[in-house]
Amino acid sequence: MTLTHILVFALVSLVVGWAVPSRWRGWVLLGASLLAVYWLQPSTPIRYLDFWFPTASILLTVITWAATRTPQAQPSRRGMVGAALVVGLILVVALLRYAGPACCLTPSRPPDIWRVLGVFAMAALLVAIPIRFPVSKRFLVPAIIFLILGLFIMLKSPAISRWASEWLRVSGGQSALLAAASDLPWLGFSYLAFRLLHVLRDYQGGKLPAYDFGEFVTYAIFYPSYTAGPIDRSQRFIGDLRSATPGKISEALKPVNDPARQEQFVQGGTRILVGLFKKFVVADGLALIALNSQNAVQVTSTLWMWVLLYAYALRIYFDFAGYTDIALGLARWVGIRLPENFDRPYLKQNLTAFWNSWHMTLAQWFRAYFFNPFTRYLRSRRLNIPTWVIIFIGQLSTMLLIGLWHGITWNYAAWGAWHGVGLFMHNRWSDWTRSRLSGIVERPQLRKVMAFGGWLLTFNYIALGWVFFALPSLELALDVFKSLFGI
Amino acid sequence: MGDPITDQLAQFISAKILKQPRRLIAGDEALITSGLVDSFSLVDLALYVEDNYGVHIDDTELNAESFDTLDQLTALIRHRQA
Repeated sequence: MTLTHILVFALVSLVVGWAVPSRWRGWVLLGASLLAVYWLQPSTPIRYLDFWFPTASILLTVITWAATRTPQAQPSRRGMVGAALVVGLILVVALLRYAGPACCLTPSRPPDIWRVLGVFAMAALLVAIPIRFPVSKRFLVPAIIFLILGLFIMLKSPAISRWASEWLRVSGGQSALLAAASDLPWLGFSYLAFRLLHVLRDYQGGKLPAYDFGEFVTYAIFYPSYTAGPIDRSQRFIGDLRSATPGKISEALKPVNDPARQEQFVQGGTRILVGLFKKFVVADGLALIALNSQNAVQVTSTLWMWVLLYAYALRIYFDFAGYTDIALGLARWVGIRLPENFDRPYLKQNLTAFWNSWHMTLAQWFRAYFFNPFTRYLRSRRLNIPTWVIIFIGQLSTMLLIGLWHGITWNYAAWGAWHGVGLFMHNRWSDWTRSRLSGIVERPQLRKVMAFGGWLLTFNYIALGWVFFALPSLELALDVFKSLFGI
Repeated sequence: MGDPITDQLAQFISAKILKQPRRLIAGDEALITSGLVDSFSLVDLALYVEDNYGVHIDDTELNAESFDTLDQLTALIRHRQA
């Protein structure tokens, strides 16, 4: 999100929160989110892709809704209005191609309307299948999960991305010679994919309540959190959305001087201002001296290398935490409390506590859908595997997956492994020390020393891990490690 | 004397998870947010609850939002047993 995006979203949120009667708020949020998906999408060198990516995000969401819809649910008037709004707004965005100077919401001209209608027809067929034949969901839900995972692997793996770019270029009559992995910047897909996977897995586990079409689409593509999270759970988000958009007129017309509305405004505004400061002042300031692949080869001094590394550690935190603050503030203005993503992570005294406070919604997602079921399986089957082996396998595989979520490359795998091994070491250390060092609790001075030592070690371990994250190759990362330790 | 379920859970956590059988855990002491019980031990705790009280705690519920103290966990178990 650029500053312009944020300012426009702030204006929209203010209008939605203050001027739109709450029974209309849901529709305005849905419409704003649909348009935002197109407006946020950056340009791509492949023709029409900056229209197709946002359209695919929306259609994937709609198909997921159809596949996870409760069989008893009858088509409601609200559902039909929501569907009309989605189709109508996509058509408006597509028709801007013919609007002359008013063209376009997307970075380049959308494809001609007949192609858009053709894709609509195919999507309508896919949506109709699970609605008309509920039994097909048994195959359709796993198929969507595999499709999302396949797309995820394609977008995150440079080699497959380049190959897909070549194919798309040739299909569209463009030269394949300039194909590059960076040709496929599908904005927001990482977060959308994890929201939809959560819905699909909860559906399979029988834990998904019935959702209205419009509220489901709003959950998946909600404009404050579309690009950088947090990854909310649908049950929590939609519960909030329903209380922010009551249908009763008596609840819809709260006066402007209502204390709850004023508190909402102050809390949201403070959060947005704090977020803007973190992102555009602190993080962008630190970016000037933060570690990157250029200064990593230029700096030879050990001291300066540590300065670059600490600057990077602080920059990445303030950048991400700043975006989260902005998202939470924008959502607060429209009456929705998104979950927190950070809780002073760099002040924690061990790595386990760090991962309970850094990118919390992503870590919770991986715990809920990978670590917990995997560990439960290993523990409950009485497989006769030593406990420490289960802990090692569970921690390492979870952190490797979290690393690969950022990109399927060796440097992200190394970053994940660094944290997996770190978490395992901390687990073993606390297991070993718990009974031996229990006397420390009664000695405040020693407890303070241990707390400071724990923080110092943890922060530096995390900072050293960022070397893998910041640099594109392992060779360069190893060179930086040598420089940091004067080797 | 507190709730027997709370007492049994406290005993299980101090003896099997923390390996400090004499450690007392208060009913309102934070377990997850304080880092006392890590993500691995949470799974063991869920399996213990399942085996001893016949209550299933789902993988998506093993977080501080669902319960963070023994009192909250006991309330969850009692609610599901009812």
